[in-house]
Amino acid sequence: MTHAILLFSHGSVLCGAGETLFELARRMEARGDAPIVEAGFLNYSEPTFEAAFEKCVARGATQITIAPYFLIAGYFVKVSLPPKIAAMSEKFPDVEVKVAEALKTHEFLADAIVNCANRALEPEKWRDILNTAPKFCRDNPQCPLNGTPQCPLRPVPREG
Amino acid sequence: MMKTALLVMVHGSPRPQSNGAMFDVVEMVKARGTFDFVTVGFMECNEPTIPEAAAQCVEAGAGKVIAVPYFLHSGSHVADDLPTLLEEARGNYPDVQWLMGDYLGRDELVADVVAQRVREALV
Repeated sequence: MTHAILLFSHGSVLCGAGETLFELARRMEARGDAPIVEAGFLNYSEPTFEAAFEKCVARGATQITIAPYFLIAGYFVKVSLPPKIAAMSEKFPDVEVKVAEALKTHEFLADAIVNCANRALEPEKWRDILNTAPKFCRDNPQCPLNGTPQCPLRPVPREG
Repeated sequence: MMKTALLVMVHGSPRPQSNGAMFDVVEMVKARGTFDFVTVGFMECNEPTIPEAAAQCVEAGAGKVIAVPYFLHSGSHVADDLPTLLEEARGNYPDVQWLMGDYLGRDELVADVVAQRVREALV
């Protein structure tokens, strides 16, 4: 049996916003939380949940645990996710699928807040995140940088 | 001795009960006594707003306020809206030092929480 963890998140219009989740997937796979860790999104960002599920199967997963990367299990986890899981289970009936809880409450999250406070910077330094977003540009018309000089693929607004 | 306040910046939800798990985590931070004052401010939907929470920190006598985004991703809220709110706070209270911490999702401990939720699902 080969176990895969599929990190499931909402996705963002800002190109590059999904990088946090890819980093998390890489870290969890490297430290051996499962031999396969992939990330998939509900909206805007790629890969989609379905594409990420298929990637787990293509890499040999026979058991997939879907881990919602959400603070709490709200609408997207309780309503949007189940039909997507059902469709993938129908497509891959031999793959055993489980769904984990959202992050909720944990002492480690309190530790994480303290760690985050220890890395504090002047507020304007955080705008550098916007400056790195174009590295991941996919010409998404909803990205706040699309049609601005910061967008590598569409530095001027669309016609009409 | 200068007092340091922690302002946890939260997105907010049309369903206030959705904030319960976050408030429990903030209580854990309070219990550690790392900060002289701890409060929560919401960007949308719930109160206090972030400017109101910033004012609470000043009223509590903070000389330094560290604002940590309780966000899992680095979208335009973290990269633009929240820095703007803190720049406004700095404009209103220039004698206080205003800093913005890393966003929650960037901390490595989040991986440990996800891994534990996965283990619980496999039992």
